[in-house]
Amino acid sequence: MQTETNKGVTTARIVETRKLGPALRFVLALIVAIIVLLPVIWILSISFKPVEEWKADPPTLLPRRPILDNYKILFRIGNPVGTVREMVSSAEPVNRAFLNSLIIAPISTVASVLIGFCAAYAVSRYQVGGNFMPFFTLTTRMFPPAAFAVPLLFYYSWILRNYLKIDLYDTHLGLILMYTGFTVAFSLWMMKGFIDAVPRHVEEAAILDGASPWRVLFTITLPLVKGGLFATTLFVFILNWTEFLLALEFTSREAITVPVQISRYATAVGEFYGPKAALGIIASIPVVIAGYLIQRHLVTGFTFGMVRE
Amino acid sequence: MSEERPLILLRGLRKEFNGLVAVEGLDLEIKEGEFICFLGPSGCGKTTTLRMIAGLETPTAGDIFLRGKRINDLPPQQRQVGFVFQNYALFWHATVYDNLAFGLRVREVSKEEIDRRVRETAARFELEPLLETRASRLSLSAMQRVALGRTLLTEPNVLLLDEPLNNIRPGLREVMRAELKRLQQQLGRTMIYVTHDQEEAMTLGDRILVMNMGRAEQLASPRQIYHRPETLFVAGFIGRPPMNFLETQYRVEGDRAFLERGNLRWEVSEKRSIIEEKVKGNRIVLGIRPEHILPVAEAREKGLTGQAVPVTVDLVQPLARKKIVDLKVGDKVIKMLVPGTSSLAKGEELEVIFDPRKMHLFDQKTERAIV
Repeated sequence: MQTETNKGVTTARIVETRKLGPALRFVLALIVAIIVLLPVIWILSISFKPVEEWKADPPTLLPRRPILDNYKILFRIGNPVGTVREMVSSAEPVNRAFLNSLIIAPISTVASVLIGFCAAYAVSRYQVGGNFMPFFTLTTRMFPPAAFAVPLLFYYSWILRNYLKIDLYDTHLGLILMYTGFTVAFSLWMMKGFIDAVPRHVEEAAILDGASPWRVLFTITLPLVKGGLFATTLFVFILNWTEFLLALEFTSREAITVPVQISRYATAVGEFYGPKAALGIIASIPVVIAGYLIQRHLVTGFTFGMVRE
Repeated sequence: MSEERPLILLRGLRKEFNGLVAVEGLDLEIKEGEFICFLGPSGCGKTTTLRMIAGLETPTAGDIFLRGKRINDLPPQQRQVGFVFQNYALFWHATVYDNLAFGLRVREVSKEEIDRRVRETAARFELEPLLETRASRLSLSAMQRVALGRTLLTEPNVLLLDEPLNNIRPGLREVMRAELKRLQQQLGRTMIYVTHDQEEAMTLGDRILVMNMGRAEQLASPRQIYHRPETLFVAGFIGRPPMNFLETQYRVEGDRAFLERGNLRWEVSEKRSIIEEKVKGNRIVLGIRPEHILPVAEAREKGLTGQAVPVTVDLVQPLARKKIVDLKVGDKVIKMLVPGTSSLAKGEELEVIFDPRKMHLFDQKTERAIV
C-alpha cells in the first residue's frame, strides 16, 4: 500500500519532468549539481592554493598558482617556505591521526555490524526482546551525543580509571568501544530491514532439507543479505570515520583521529585553510575507495531478495 | 484398524495462534503412496496443518505420527519431509546446481555421488541446460521444477506441496498440473497437496480433505465429494456454478412425506424413515446442482417426474459449450446449466423439474447431509 503510493508519486514526478523538455531539464540538473559539488570543488581548490590566496578578495575559484605545499606540510615532506611553515610547525604531523583513524574506524565498524547483524537476526527471526528491546536500542541515538559526552567522560576518566584501574581515555580501545556502542543501533535496524526482506520460506526450505540453524544462517541468509551487509558496513564506516565530538572529548594526543586533527588547523595563531582542505581531501579518499569497491554489491544487494517475494 | 500401518496419522490436532483457533480436532490417516488434497477457502487451516506435519509449527494439542512413531517433538530437520512452498523458496543467490545439491551436501554425501544424483534429477526435470543459471533468473516453470527436484533429491517420506501452482498463469497451470500428476504416478510417492482450487483437487487427489474454519468437513474421493457431500459447506463449495439451496418444511400427510416451500412440494416418502431418524426439527435444505435442473419437456422425455417449478429467466450467461441460466423462483434465484444451443431468453417463463435422484437433503440446523 505504502510503496504503491510512493511509486505513484515518483512516476507522476518523472512524467512531470519529462514534459519540461531536455534543455530545461539539463539546466535544472546543472544547478543542482553545482549546489551539491561547489563545496567539494572549493575544498579541492583551496588545498592547492598558496597562503595568500586562501582568503583572497575577490576569491578565486581555481588557484592562480597551484602548489602541493599544503599536502607536503601535512606529512612534513620537503621544506615548505614562508608563513605556512611557521604557522603549521605548531601542529602535529598528520601521520599519527591517520593511522589512529585507520585502526579505530574499521575495527569499530566491523564490531558494530557483526553485533548488529546477529542482533537483527535474533530480533527478526526469533522476536528476541519483543517490541521493546529493538526500539530501546534507538535511545542511544535519541539524545544528541553532546548529552552523553560529559557523563561518559566522567565514567571513562573517573570511575573506570580509579575503581577498576582500566584506563580508556585517549586510547584506541576507548574510542572503538564507544563507536561500536553508538552505531550498533544503526547496524541492527538496517540489517533487520534486509533480513526481514528474506522470506522465511527460504530458510524453512533449507531447514527441511536438513540444515541446522547455523548452516541456514551462513549458507542461506547471509549470502542473501550480502548486499545489505555491505551497505550497512559502508554507512557505519562513514559515521565512524567522520565522528568528531566524541573523538575530541576522549582523546588528547595518542589516539586523536583525522577529524580532530583537521580541527587543530584552526588555532589562535590563525586559520590554516590550505592544510585543512588538503587533509579533508585525503580523509575522503578511504570512503570513496570503499564506496567504489562495494558499489557492485550495493546494486545487487538491493535488487536481490526484495523483488521476488 | 486397517492392517497396513498408515504413513501419517493425525490425532485430535489443534493449533491456536494468539488465541485464534486455526485448526481444531483434526483426525486423518494417510496411506503410503496416496495423493491427498487439502481443499478449502483461504484461512481454513490447510496450510497450518501442512506446516505442523512438516514441523514448522508446533501443535497446541493432538499428536502426529509418522509410520507409527510420534513425531511431535522431532525437529523438522529430522522428519525427512519434503516441502514445496507456494513461492518455491529457492536459494536465489545460488545456481540451479547448488540449489539441487543443498540437501545432499547437508547430509555429507560424497562429491561424486552428489554430482551423479544432481545430474540425474536435472535430466528428469529437463534442467540440464540450466544447471549453472542463478535461481533468480529462472522462469516460473523452471523454478517449480527446481523446487520439486531439490525436495525429491533428499528422498522424503512424504512430499508436502503448498499451493505450488498458485502464481502460475492459467494455461501453463493446467500443463504443470498434468506434469505433477504424471510425476506422482511415476514416483508412487505420498503427496499432500494444499489448494483452494477445487478443479486442482478434483483432478489430482486420490482423496480430498475439505476443510473449513479449521475443521475437517469431509474426507473422501473426488467422486464422493461431488456426488455425496456430507455437509452444506462441501455441497456449496464443490461444483461450479455452485449447488442451489432451497429452504423447505418437512410435512407428513398420511403415509406420504413432503418437502414444502410455498405452494411447491417435493415428495420424499421413500426417505421418510431416515429423515425422521436424523432430523430434529422440520426444516430441511433441499440442494440441487445446476446441471440437475431440467425443463419439464426434457425431463418428461427422460421419464423424470416430480414437482414442476414455475420459474422466470432472469439472466443468461453463455459459456463455451453451456449456458448458465439464472431462474427466479419466487424471490429466490437459482442457477440452471443448459446446453449452449438452448434458446432461453431473459423474461421467459417456463417450468423446470429437479431430478429427484440427484436431490440432496440437509438438516438446516446441523448443516449435515441426510443420508
